[in-house]
Amino acid sequence: MERTVIQSVGFRNVMEEGKVIGFQFKVRNPYYRGVYLSQIQTGYATVDGEDIGRDDIMWQIAGATYTWQEMLVSRNVHWNPLQLATIIVKKPGGLKQGYHDLRYSFTSTKSYMPPVLNVNNALKPDTTANGGMTLPEFGATHHYRRLIIV
Amino acid sequence: MKKNTTTRRTFLRNVSAAAAVSVVPAAAMALDSKPVAEYPANERKGPKRGVSLYSYSAEFGLTKTLEDCFEDIHDMGATGIEILANAHIENYPYPTDEWLDYWWSLCWKYNIEPAEYGHWIDGRVLQDRELTVDETTEYLVRDMRLAHRMGFKWLRTKVTVKDNQLAPIDNWTEVIDSVLPLAERLDLKLLPEIHSPSKLSSGFITHYLDYIKRTGTKHFGLNIDFGVFNTNVRGGSEVTQPEELIPLLPYVYCCHAKFVDMDDNFRETQIPYEKILRILIDNGYDGYLLSEYEGRDKYDEGYEVTHQLRKHHIMMKNILGY
Repeated sequence: MERTVIQSVGFRNVMEEGKVIGFQFKVRNPYYRGVYLSQIQTGYATVDGEDIGRDDIMWQIAGATYTWQEMLVSRNVHWNPLQLATIIVKKPGGLKQGYHDLRYSFTSTKSYMPPVLNVNNALKPDTTANGGMTLPEFGATHHYRRLIIV
Repeated sequence: MKKNTTTRRTFLRNVSAAAAVSVVPAAAMALDSKPVAEYPANERKGPKRGVSLYSYSAEFGLTKTLEDCFEDIHDMGATGIEILANAHIENYPYPTDEWLDYWWSLCWKYNIEPAEYGHWIDGRVLQDRELTVDETTEYLVRDMRLAHRMGFKWLRTKVTVKDNQLAPIDNWTEVIDSVLPLAERLDLKLLPEIHSPSKLSSGFITHYLDYIKRTGTKHFGLNIDFGVFNTNVRGGSEVTQPEELIPLLPYVYCCHAKFVDMDDNFRETQIPYEKILRILIDNGYDGYLLSEYEGRDKYDEGYEVTHQLRKHHIMMKNILGY
C-alpha cells in the first residue's frame, strides 16, 4: 500500500462484454480510523481537467459495488484503513495510453466533531471551502496523482 | 498474574467451536459470563504508563505493523496499550478467531495489557438523521462485547456531540442507561473523553457527574485528555488549571496523556506535566496514562513518532520514578 491516497496499482481501463466502459483506480482510507460507508461523503472526480459527476462513479469494497446513493444507506459496511477501495469511473472508451491527471475528493462524517464541520454537499476537487476537514488528521479530503495507462 | 497459555488457547478454541454453529460472526457472540482470558496485568498501584496506537496513525499499516507498535511500546517499558477499534482490529467489527488469538499472543509476547478500547458512538453515521437510541445501542453493545473478548475493561467511548464545546447529544443518558446492565455483567467502564476545546469547567461535565451520582454506577466515568491543560491557547481563552482535576479524579479511570511538543531535555513545552502527574500521584490515581502524540509534524513525509513517544516516556518515567 502506498502512502499517497490514490494508488498506482489498480489504475487501468475496465472492460465489460468486450467494450471499454471506463477506468478504475484504487484509494486507501487516509483517515486515522475506519468508517461505515454511509459516513463517506463523495464528490466529483476530474481526469485531465474534465469533471466526472458522482453519478458516474462507483465504489467497490470487499468485492461489492455501490453507487453513492447505496453507500449512504450502508451503515453496517465498514471500510478499514488497511483496505483499499476501488473507484470505478464510467467513461465509454476509457482513457488513452499515456499520462493522466487524476483528482478525487472524499471525506466522512465525524460525530465527535461539531456538527457545523460536516460537509453535506457533493465535494469538488481542489476547493478549500471545507476548512478544517482538509487537515491530514481527517484524511485531507482532496487527492491528486499523475498515473499511466498502458 | 502468571502466564497460562494453555488455558487461554483452550478457551479460545472453545469459543471458536461455539461460534461455528452460528451464522453470526464469532466476535459478535456474547460472552457475558466470564472474562475472556488472563492477560499480563500491571498490578502496580498508581499511574501506569501506556501508549495509544492513535500516536502511530500516520504510520500504521504503511511502515509499522501492529507487532512493530507492540514492540516499540515494550521498548519504552510501558505496560498498557490503547487501540482504536475501527482502525486497529483487522476486519472490524468482526475479527476472526485467528486474529483474536494473534492479539493475545502479542499481549503475552511483549508483556502489555489491553488498557483502553477506543471506540465511537457515531450518531451521525447516517447523513440525513441522527440514530435512534435502539440503533445506537446496537453498535455500542457490539463494541462492548468485542472489547471484553479482547481483554479490555476500560473503553474510551467517544460520544456524538451537539455543539462547538463538544457537549454530548441529548439522548446520551438513555443510551448509557440501556447498556449499563451489560457493562456491569462484563465489568466494563465506559469513559467519555473530555477533550479540548472542552474545559474541565464545561457545564456538561456536571451532567456526567450527576448521572454517576444518581445511578451510583461504577461502570461509567471519564477519560481526561491532557490537551485541556495546554497553556498555548489563543488570547482571551482561559486555561484549565491542573488543580481542577482533583474533584473529578474519583470518576477518572483512564487519561489520555496528550502531548504536542517535547524538547531535547525531555520536557513538554506546552502542557504542565510535572504538576499534572504530581496531582495524580498525590490523589491516589490508579489508572493508565496513555500517550497520545498530536504534534503538527505528525503527517510530514518520513515522520517517525517513536522518537516523540520515547521522549515522552522518559519524562513520565522520571516524574513517576518507574
